[in-house]
Amino acid sequence: MDLELSEEQRELQVNVRRVLEDACPPALARAVHERGASGAALWEQMVALAWPGLAIDEAHGGLGLGAVELCLVAEELGRALAPGPFLATATQFVPLVQEAGDSPLARELLRRVAEGGLIGSVALAEGDRWDLAVIECSAERASHGFRLHGRKTAVFDGATAREIAVVARASEAGAGHLAVLLVPASAAKVQPRTLLDPTLALADLAFEDVAVPTDRVLIAPAPGTERAVERALEVATVALALATAGTCRRIFELTLAYVKERRQYGRPIGSFQALKHRLADIYLAVERATALGYYAALTLAEDDPRRAEAASLAKVEAGACQRLVAGDGLQLHGGIGFTWEHDLHLFLKRVKAGDPLLGSAAEHRARLARKLGLGST
Amino acid sequence: MKLSFDAPVEVFRREFLDWLAANRPSEAEMAADPARSSAHLPDWSRRWARRQFDAGWLVPGWPPELGGRNAGPVEQLVYLEELTRAGVPRTTNPQGLGIIAPSLLDYGSPEQIERYALPILRGERAGCLGMSEPGAGSDLAALSTRAEQDGDRFVINGQKVWTSGANYADFCFLFCRTDPAAPKHRGISVLLVEMDQPGIRVQPLPEIVGRDHPDLNEVFFTDVSVPANQLVGKLNDGWTMANGSLAHERGMVWLGSVLGLQEAVARLVAEAPRWLARMGEIERAVSIDQIVRSYVDAQAARCLGHRGFAKLVKGGSAPEQALMKLMSSEARQRLALAAAELQGARGLDASAQAGPFTEWTPLEQYFVTFGGTISAGSSEIQRNIIAEKVLGLPR
Repeated sequence: MDLELSEEQRELQVNVRRVLEDACPPALARAVHERGASGAALWEQMVALAWPGLAIDEAHGGLGLGAVELCLVAEELGRALAPGPFLATATQFVPLVQEAGDSPLARELLRRVAEGGLIGSVALAEGDRWDLAVIECSAERASHGFRLHGRKTAVFDGATAREIAVVARASEAGAGHLAVLLVPASAAKVQPRTLLDPTLALADLAFEDVAVPTDRVLIAPAPGTERAVERALEVATVALALATAGTCRRIFELTLAYVKERRQYGRPIGSFQALKHRLADIYLAVERATALGYYAALTLAEDDPRRAEAASLAKVEAGACQRLVAGDGLQLHGGIGFTWEHDLHLFLKRVKAGDPLLGSAAEHRARLARKLGLGST
Repeated sequence: MKLSFDAPVEVFRREFLDWLAANRPSEAEMAADPARSSAHLPDWSRRWARRQFDAGWLVPGWPPELGGRNAGPVEQLVYLEELTRAGVPRTTNPQGLGIIAPSLLDYGSPEQIERYALPILRGERAGCLGMSEPGAGSDLAALSTRAEQDGDRFVINGQKVWTSGANYADFCFLFCRTDPAAPKHRGISVLLVEMDQPGIRVQPLPEIVGRDHPDLNEVFFTDVSVPANQLVGKLNDGWTMANGSLAHERGMVWLGSVLGLQEAVARLVAEAPRWLARMGEIERAVSIDQIVRSYVDAQAARCLGHRGFAKLVKGGSAPEQALMKLMSSEARQRLALAAAELQGARGLDASAQAGPFTEWTPLEQYFVTFGGTISAGSSEIQRNIIAEKVLGLPR
């Protein structure tokens, strides 16, 4: 197993980081926090650089790269605290559309993302649980398609996305199976959530008997649809895990620099063993999260049978990492880290979002327990 | 990045597996005459070493005359993986094969290689490493065992402790002070000392479990005289070798400890259901979580190890290597504790019979895991090394 980036992957990582250092300094996140600035200009730049269509086939106007490259960009965006709909569009919407197979609708959507920067998102969670078993949102067969009814929560960029892929449960024909219906955002009642970290955007959506014509059915209810949705969710999960690992690495770097520079008792505080040991542990946590994240991304890229387990491992590790790094990062910065003026809090607030969204570390450990056969005793 | 190895590596794996199946010592052979210490060479172990050496499967990365076949690093990884999986010890004198022989090949004279390194590789002689002392553990450079030059001989006086296998070893690769006036790192030399000679007393130091089968020893040296040509490398240059020795040790162990961790987790997962079945709902959930955390640890160790290894193979530096010993030894300890606690009061039982090949109970295993977090640079020293050498924090 080779878990080191290739030359091309490293080059991509360096290029993305360079772009974001200019286009997305911490000052941008601060402007979002303080003045309600938006990530729209940054998104336009990403579109110009073809990032949204990074993992879309060249035949559909994309760059034709794979899951590893997609996750590397997510990691850099986490590192840079980038606002905007990249996670929603490129790591959630596109993978679900790709699971739909080669339909005219799927082709059209992929082309619109790759060439026009269409903002799309996925409405899956209900009651903030990303668990297919709890989906009650119903797709009822109608004369020319379906009628969609129900509530979805924590939809990434749900207030700004143009197209929403809604995962619903078919109620009559193909009873019980999941369907994915494409709904324009204007058809939903949108309730944006006010988050501690406004660089992220979540919204709750309500669908009240929305008519979805046949040509807007992305994935029709059938025995294989659960797995198709799960596969897309795996991509989203690994991307978010690596975005979280990226933010964690940045907090680690800030903290390391701070303890080298801050002097007390006539010496840098980083020379004290109590702090050294904590930094060694933080560093280990960041490297663990990165290594498991890359492993998971690789199982997606190679479509390995271990991909579902690997996605849970990556999310568990990202959750554990942010837990240690956010707390210790703040503690080791001391008083200055406790101020609004210092940039640290921008990173801390972002990194916390990495755990509960798309299933917390605890929830993914529960999934691993079931996979290990420990769940039903 | 790639999950699998290239086709030629898989051909190599096949070739080794075929050879292993035809040449490995049998379970019965090993169980009938188990190795009694880390420097004990039962007859099967001697024959096994010789077969590996002659076939070029002892250290595949080395040339044929040293028991290898000039294999690349990825092939060596595959070789170690399969050997570990097969449950066959590569050697019953790990410090000889892993540290003493490579150090002698790097620093020893042709005569020393002939008399010590090659016999280790061929399974003819076993060595122990004389490093730690009562006053020099983590601070190894503080060692005070003295070797005074007297004409064409050295006269050794002092004491070593925690010396694995000294009770069975043929000779000792001994770190001693040859210049007490020099700064502590610059007055240390290495001598090859035959164990069977006047003035050496070995006192076994039974361990925390398995009192009747000690591997650790105290070794006392009183006016032990060795010829000057037993000096390895240059006089007062021993610290270079101490660092080199530990590097050999670390380069070798990460894969073994990761595979060991994975195997231990697999065993825990397999045995857990019968203990979980006795628990109430909430207690069961808490216990399951402990097991899953250990499973995640093992997977993280595997990925981190492979990532560091891939960096090294591609010619880069791999700070991951510095993390592996700390991480896998502590993960192993957490796992052992989870396994012991899972059994409740039943976990307090002693193992049925004490022997060198005893299946330790989980609680005994837990105590044994402290060997991993204390020896070869304790976890605290590992954190210092990571903080100072990798993260660049000031001393």
